[in-house]
Amino acid sequence: MSAEVEETLKRIQTHKGVIGTIVVNAEGIPIRTTLDNSTTVQYAGLLHQLTMKARSTVRDLDPQNDLTFLRIRSKKHEIMVAPDKEYLLIVIQNPSE
Amino acid sequence: AEALLQSMGISPDIPNGKDTHTHTPPHSSASEGNNRGNVMLPWDPDPCALQLHSDSELLGQGFRLGMAKVTQVDFPPKEMVSYSKETQTPADTQTHTQAKPEEEMADPKPAEDSQEEKADEEEKQEEVLPKELTEEEKMHLLNSEEFMAFFDRGSRIVERALSERVDVCFDYSGRDLEDREGEMQAGAKMSLSRVFSDERWSKNRVVTCLDWSPQYPELLVASYNSNDDAPHEPDGVALVWNMKYKKTTPEYTFHCQSAVMSAAFARFHPNLIVGGTYSGQIVLWDNRSNKRTSVQRTPLSASAHTHPVYCVNVVGTENAHNLISISTDGKMCSWNLDMLSQPQDSLELVFKQSKAVAVTSMAFPLGDVNNFVVGSEDGSLYTACRHGSKAGISDVFDGHHGPVTGLSCHSAGGPVDFSHLFISASFDWTVKLWTTKSTRPLYLFEDSCDYVYDVMWSPTHPALFACVDGSGRLDLWNLNNDTEVPSASVVVDGSPALNRVRWAHSGREIATGDSDGQVLVYDVGEKICVPKADEWTRFVHTLVEINENRDEGDELAAQRLLA
Repeated sequence: MSAEVEETLKRIQTHKGVIGTIVVNAEGIPIRTTLDNSTTVQYAGLLHQLTMKARSTVRDLDPQNDLTFLRIRSKKHEIMVAPDKEYLLIVIQNPSE
Repeated sequence: AEALLQSMGISPDIPNGKDTHTHTPPHSSASEGNNRGNVMLPWDPDPCALQLHSDSELLGQGFRLGMAKVTQVDFPPKEMVSYSKETQTPADTQTHTQAKPEEEMADPKPAEDSQEEKADEEEKQEEVLPKELTEEEKMHLLNSEEFMAFFDRGSRIVERALSERVDVCFDYSGRDLEDREGEMQAGAKMSLSRVFSDERWSKNRVVTCLDWSPQYPELLVASYNSNDDAPHEPDGVALVWNMKYKKTTPEYTFHCQSAVMSAAFARFHPNLIVGGTYSGQIVLWDNRSNKRTSVQRTPLSASAHTHPVYCVNVVGTENAHNLISISTDGKMCSWNLDMLSQPQDSLELVFKQSKAVAVTSMAFPLGDVNNFVVGSEDGSLYTACRHGSKAGISDVFDGHHGPVTGLSCHSAGGPVDFSHLFISASFDWTVKLWTTKSTRPLYLFEDSCDYVYDVMWSPTHPALFACVDGSGRLDLWNLNNDTEVPSASVVVDGSPALNRVRWAHSGREIATGDSDGQVLVYDVGEKICVPKADEWTRFVHTLVEINENRDEGDELAAQRLLA
């Protein structure tokens, strides 16, 4: 049950280049994180807003469509967001490692 | 007003259209009486009175309607100055983006504003303190079924995405790397790689000598003199440091009873380390033994050395090699590493049959086992040879104005042979470039403002050498680039006096030892230390230039003397 979740989270966190993993609920409040508090809060808040915006964009363009995955590639990192109705799974990876 | 008067007086035909209507017939009798002077109106500045006059006249003459000149005067509306102060905080936390109310409108607005502000503040409060869920709540959420379903899906996708290592943004044109050029520029110079220091053994001691191992390029031996703060500890320490691993403690620790002034890895014996001490003894350490003390020592007798030994060197080939040591009383001994009980050969280095040379540094040119160069305490430099009829000091060079602290013979092998070149460093703040073919220096490098403690040619680059001085500066001079100033320079943190400098055999790293017992290893940027194919030919040209300048300089000096 929860052990599987733990194991998967650990596997993701120890993947090559992964800097941090955050699980956020529907209100943008982080419920699991491997980063420090201030960073987590920052990522959670900003990415929650962005995901909401992305989702609304997709649905505005086509009401029958929905957001399945969000990937932000920046110079330094790659941020991957797997959204859901209720939660968000955020993983930050450094792809050059 | 004048225009109005004129229009009234001179041309009564132009009535003031409006007012004629107001006058009713009953007034006509009264106005008739005033009908006397139509042109000569009594001067009445009051336009209202004038109007009456004119009207009365007109009424007598009857109604006459005409076009009235209407002067249009436009007053601009009163500008209401208002402020709109906006901040760049995100919309949620905007509490202060209120327009500053005008004074006249003070009353209704503040009431509004305060209400708005209140609402915003509440919002702000909510934002500033994000609702924290208790651990229980979090665990509850994490265990819920919806979460499991979400996580199962989400983690699956994320794991697949994580494993994709394709960089879709890669730019083959290299424009991407433009951003990193700044970093590359910085990497062109020198960067500190490691600092080796041991709390117990190297603190409060001065690094007296450094040597890189010929067999294992990551090993570096550093010798230290005595620790004045710890009289019970051995006076002489030699530590072997390892660059390969991250550990901060020395690989091997060796002691001896007298301060070690020079140390070297024995070239054809990978396990042996030779040390020359202050007492004149030469000690041999072996890393196969479990002891920290030396396994062999030379005797403290007149046959060996009785003065500090500043120079030790293993010269020769695998099958025929000797350990050469010179002490400051001018005695040069050559030893067999297997037997240190007495020297194989000894020689007194005297100049002109009388003056013993107090040797502080020695160098053998590349490939030469017989001829060598020595520098002395009084600042003079000599060439000497070990064997042959003229064994001993051969030539004297003009030298320096202070004790010679370091000597280095050109060792970068290449298409052109420069092994006749050597450089010397001295307390007189200068480094001089010499050739064995002439007693006058080829060039004088005077960029330093302190005693120059050591100098060394790069083992790979023909025109590059490093020098260190007492102000903590490590300079790299590239003679093909510039002979006036160093091509790269770095000052060690804390500016301790740097006593020794040694290039690694690869020519990519430099080790320097300071007066605080620290050994610092710097990585030299590729642009500086890696020679290009034409460096040798360029150096030939540089030398020609130097030579010409020297001859010119000499001529000028001679002329001045004559004049």
